[in-house]
Amino acid sequence: MKTAVRTTSLWKIYPQEPDPVEAVRGISTEIETGDFVAMAGPSGSGKTTVLNMIGGLTRPSRGQIWIGDREITEMSDKDLAQLRLERIGFVFQSYNLLPVLTALENAEFTLLLSGIPKDERRKKVLELFNKIGLSGLEDRKPGKLSGGQQQRVAVARAVVANPALILADEPTANLDSKASEDLLDVMERLNQDHGTTFLFSTHDPRVMERSRRLITLVDGQIESDERRNHLSVSP
Amino acid sequence: MRLTVLLKLAMRSVGRNTRRSALTSLAMVLGLALLVFSRSLAEGAYDKMIDSGVRMGSGHIAIQAPEYLTSGKLEHRLEGEVATLALEAANDVLRESLLSWAPRLSVNGLASSTAAAVPVRIEGVDPELERAFSDIEDKLQDGRYLEAGDRLHAYIGTELAQRLDVQVGNRFVLTAQTSTGDVEGQLVRVAGIFQTGIPEVDQSLIHIPIDTAREWLHTPGATSTLAFLLNESELTDIGVETLQLKLENERQIRVLGWRESSPELAAAIRLDSTGNYIFHSILLAIIALAILNAVMISVLGRRREFGVLQAMGLTGVETGFVVFLEGLFLTVISGVAGISAGLLFTWGFFRDGLDFSIFMEDGLEFGGQIMEPIVIPHFSVEQLLISTFVVVAIGMISSLYPALRASKLDVAEAMKFEQ
Repeated sequence: MKTAVRTTSLWKIYPQEPDPVEAVRGISTEIETGDFVAMAGPSGSGKTTVLNMIGGLTRPSRGQIWIGDREITEMSDKDLAQLRLERIGFVFQSYNLLPVLTALENAEFTLLLSGIPKDERRKKVLELFNKIGLSGLEDRKPGKLSGGQQQRVAVARAVVANPALILADEPTANLDSKASEDLLDVMERLNQDHGTTFLFSTHDPRVMERSRRLITLVDGQIESDERRNHLSVSP
Repeated sequence: MRLTVLLKLAMRSVGRNTRRSALTSLAMVLGLALLVFSRSLAEGAYDKMIDSGVRMGSGHIAIQAPEYLTSGKLEHRLEGEVATLALEAANDVLRESLLSWAPRLSVNGLASSTAAAVPVRIEGVDPELERAFSDIEDKLQDGRYLEAGDRLHAYIGTELAQRLDVQVGNRFVLTAQTSTGDVEGQLVRVAGIFQTGIPEVDQSLIHIPIDTAREWLHTPGATSTLAFLLNESELTDIGVETLQLKLENERQIRVLGWRESSPELAAAIRLDSTGNYIFHSILLAIIALAILNAVMISVLGRRREFGVLQAMGLTGVETGFVVFLEGLFLTVISGVAGISAGLLFTWGFFRDGLDFSIFMEDGLEFGGQIMEPIVIPHFSVEQLLISTFVVVAIGMISSLYPALRASKLDVAEAMKFEQ
């Protein structure tokens, strides 16, 4: 199995008076391509920081990160932006859709940045919307969508360009049980259909339950790393 | 750079927060409208002053002997072939832009009656040409202006008439040093009395027929000044330059624009204009602050959004460029609206002008001229282009700092920001 993400001795230290804060302390791990991994742990355990470093949104203080076969810690900001565009999709707790764009325009945003022609963009997004239950909502602005619908648009935006890796930071935190289950169904289906690697940070037991691997962080270090052998998509 | 995407994002963002955009726009629209209106009014007032000044003075362009401007003496005059050459050159160069011209033979002298002797400025004029050139006939209070065929007639100011204690039809004596060096007298009769409202003019200026002046002063065919009036005062500089070039070999001739021949008027306009520029700069600074404020608030309130853009694959520079474009759009939209509103408001006064007579019942002297109470605004294409350029420049400059802030965003920190 190929490696989607690899970190070695990853540290993130925030300079702060009187003592620097060590948010991440020497995390080394590998995530296989096509895996569905949850990273759990209490608040302040470093989950989001790890995701941000893997996504190139923040630079580590020490250590190295590979996305596929590319080491990213020394990349320029411009190259990191290009890497995010081509290979990484993000799903955030607060959906973070662009309020000035419609659901369809939000979902096609990364394709637009990649220079994909309009017809091709629309075709891909409409197919995806159909698959994840967003048909008919294409022209709605985010403010006119429910939380669950917004998060599904965010997932569509993250996966539409077929990135190798999806980083999802507490994706179900703002959703009710039903919307959370629906969203997890969508993500599992995309994982199965496209072989996309998913890495979640979460507090949500539902996400942990449905992950194939659960990494638990405490105080910026890996406390446990267990592989789980079930995958269940709701009927 | 993915310009189309960035343009779209910026335009949508301006349109999204309509209340904020509208308020910012309103500040700009009002500021610019005021700027356009006050600038047009000032330009209109200057036009009027220049027109009145050059008609009473030496025209938009004057041709004189080189030393005449400083000496004002009769010995520094144009005559014979030199005068003919100068006139031909002016007619040749100015052509369609020439509205009218007038020859003047001027000398300082003394006006004497049984009541008093008063120092005066005597100008020999061609009555027909002068009538078309200056508006001094419009200032008539009593009698009439000089006419072709007049010989021993004089047109004098009210204050001079009072001091000499003369009325229309009365005679008095002019005395001056002639070209021979002798002091000689000339008896004249008052044909008309004028009042310009400018004390120096009403006290001392006398018009007599130029033929009478030439005969009296023994200067046949001579003129102190050949004055030319143009269709537009903006043509003065180019007219002066071309004439100077054409007459560059003539050492006995000097070509002057109205700023040189009427330095008081030029200085007054320059001074007033400086005041206006300061006022306009303050207005523009307020507009710039309004844009800076609007764009800055927008940036600070949308840090997470900009973080998302960068997470999606936009570079920092591109994110900053979106902000820059937003400021620019806001400026251009408000700028067009403001300039249009200013023009629209000013438009109403283009025909009949704005009446300031309530503020200047007794007339207001400015730069040696009496300001007309009715000012017709003047708005030029050049001014429109400058205003547009200034507005766009302000938008660009005001948006630079917020754009820089957005481009230097810490994406991970921005994601924590609660909108």
